[in-house]
Amino acid sequence: MHCHNTGSRKLPPSAPDDIKILLMGNPNVGKSVIFSKLTGMDVLTANYAGTTVSYTAGNVNYRSKSATLIDVPGTYSLEATSPAEQVAVNFLEEGANVIICVLDATNLERNLNLALQIKHKDVPIIYSLNLIDVAENKGISIDVEKLEEELGAPVIPTVATRNVGLKDLLDRAWEVALKEPVAIKPVQMSHDERWQEVGRIAEKVQVVEHRHPTFWDKLGDALVQPFPGLPLAIIILTLSMLFVVGGGQGLRALLLLPILDNYYIPAITSLVAYFIPEGILFNLLVGEYGVLIKGIEWPFFLILPYVTLFYVVMSFLEDSGYLPRLGILLDSLLRRIGMLGSNVVPMVMGYGCAVPAILGTRAANSQKQRLMITSLVALAVPCTAQSGAFIALLGDQSILALVFVYMVSFVAILIAGSILNRVIPGETDPMLMEVPNLLRPSVSALSQKIFIRIKQFLLEAEIPMVLGILFAAVLVETGLLLVIGDLLKPLVEGWLGLPKEASLALMLGIVRRELGVLPLLELELTTLQLIVGSLVALFYLPCVTVMAIIIKEFNLKLSIYVIGFTTIIAFTLAGLFNQVARLLGFQ
Amino acid sequence: MYLASYENNKPCIIENLPDINLLNSLGLRKGSKVSIKSRQFFGGPLVVQIGTRCVAIDKKIAEQIVIKEVH
Ligand SMILES: Nc1nc2c(ncn2[C@@H]2O[C@H](COP(=O)(O)OP(=O)(O)O)[C@@H](O)[C@H]2O)c(=O)[nH]1
Ligand SMILES: [Mg+2]
Repeated sequence: MHCHNTGSRKLPPSAPDDIKILLMGNPNVGKSVIFSKLTGMDVLTANYAGTTVSYTAGNVNYRSKSATLIDVPGTYSLEATSPAEQVAVNFLEEGANVIICVLDATNLERNLNLALQIKHKDVPIIYSLNLIDVAENKGISIDVEKLEEELGAPVIPTVATRNVGLKDLLDRAWEVALKEPVAIKPVQMSHDERWQEVGRIAEKVQVVEHRHPTFWDKLGDALVQPFPGLPLAIIILTLSMLFVVGGGQGLRALLLLPILDNYYIPAITSLVAYFIPEGILFNLLVGEYGVLIKGIEWPFFLILPYVTLFYVVMSFLEDSGYLPRLGILLDSLLRRIGMLGSNVVPMVMGYGCAVPAILGTRAANSQKQRLMITSLVALAVPCTAQSGAFIALLGDQSILALVFVYMVSFVAILIAGSILNRVIPGETDPMLMEVPNLLRPSVSALSQKIFIRIKQFLLEAEIPMVLGILFAAVLVETGLLLVIGDLLKPLVEGWLGLPKEASLALMLGIVRRELGVLPLLELELTTLQLIVGSLVALFYLPCVTVMAIIIKEFNLKLSIYVIGFTTIIAFTLAGLFNQVARLLGFQ
Repeated sequence: MYLASYENNKPCIIENLPDINLLNSLGLRKGSKVSIKSRQFFGGPLVVQIGTRCVAIDKKIAEQIVIKEVH
């Protein structure tokens, strides 16, 4: 699978006698969990609507028959109001051997409304009644046999996260898929007729007994009240940041740096020295920009601790269902800059990586929202790898400088947002969003998710980083860096007040965001220079992968705009800051 | 009376509402029983409970939802 599922709209090729199974249902009912348990494939799941914005396909081999299982984006109806919903509708039209329609047992009515729409198409269907553990806690019980009778198809109770009922689900799916299909006459129903039918079925099969709300229910309610929701939001976000910054610094100082300095570097240097005489090759391997030194130090010892801790926090926030609640609190603020509360989710994802954030905008209904989020994330939201580099660069010398850079990023988002809001035509959508149950995240789901993301980071970062470092080493060893440095001198030294060698960061920063920061670590910079260098990197081009995604999701024109604007803004703002600071007497 | 100006935590019945597909799919339609769980400062969304679940509804939309009290 591609590292980030960028999902083209075509189906993957599959053997003609393969069974084709669609996993469908409302958003946030556990489809992706079921998919990854059945196929053993890594897909990301989260506790809010819109995590799966394009499909993922995988293979299941069961009872000596192989099937293609497709995780279709969730929809509330088959009316296709967003690009993600359109994908689902298209799949249904293409047809399948069987559809597994996943129902959220904690919200039967709304799920049945979609189930009936799917049932009325001409495709064999079975139902997975998922989240029965949560339903039980809420005092909701559902009579499965009666529901089967009403729906005229198998209903299998499941707890996807704990693998309960999934084997049953496969058994029934195989039975239905291998049977000769009986033609079903498609039924047309009006909204009202369908809701009446839903009401009748729910009445018959569901008993809701009043339970005292659990701790998580009460917390879930409190978090959307301005008080205590807002103070709690500040506490939660501050603690999250302290955890990532403090934890990362601690890990590096106590564990990683000693290993690097006392064991790894001496060992690798003497190993290489044993085989290779001093000279260019030796320096390329273990010199100032030696691939075997920086190529290991930067990704593993410098960036990885922050990336890991960031994803720990983010996965927790996602799986608990907190982010949409934060969105509700921030909606009126975001509206001032043309965004809405539900955009908090892709924006926060952008602090992880811009790629899933931009893909995640497919769940947004309007093109304006998609453009705004994409531009803001590309301009002023540092990804986790870049944040790691900022913390490593600034954290030791001046925590204040670190805070300052993030304040600038934040203010830039507000200003750029309100400008874009005026420039991009269209109205901001009204907010209309389901509030997910607040759930205690399961440790196994969390660790799997963190693991997937770290793996993705390393797979994506290591090769470009090594190539970037090799490029740097060649420039340094051949003296070319000095030539380029002289060429860029007016910009780098004159305007930005940085040493010539900092031009290396500008070149590497095109490849990956953190590479626009890391070379600065090798120079002895004053606090002012550190801040200026960080500001350039913050606004500078997003990495090449992001540019590719922008071209793919939008068009070449937008990506050229992004390249142009980010570069101009980066040099203008950072340079102005430098000039003003120097006038005021800072060094 | 409109939903936007109704009290918190008191059930009411929707009498009329704007024709927005997503509202209908989320289960808000004529005759649904709902209650407001929270509202935000500066015109932020209302959190409305319907059945066992909550939905965040833009204040502008809530201003167009006509409701009646239940006793
Ligand atoms: N407690 C519990 N949580 C579940 C169950 N199934 C899924 N989840 C959680 O519900 C959330 C939504 O799951 P996901 O697969 O992303 O939903 P999708 O949008 O339908 O793909 C995730 O946080 C899952 O960990 C279940 O049976 N029990
Ligand atoms: Mg999903």
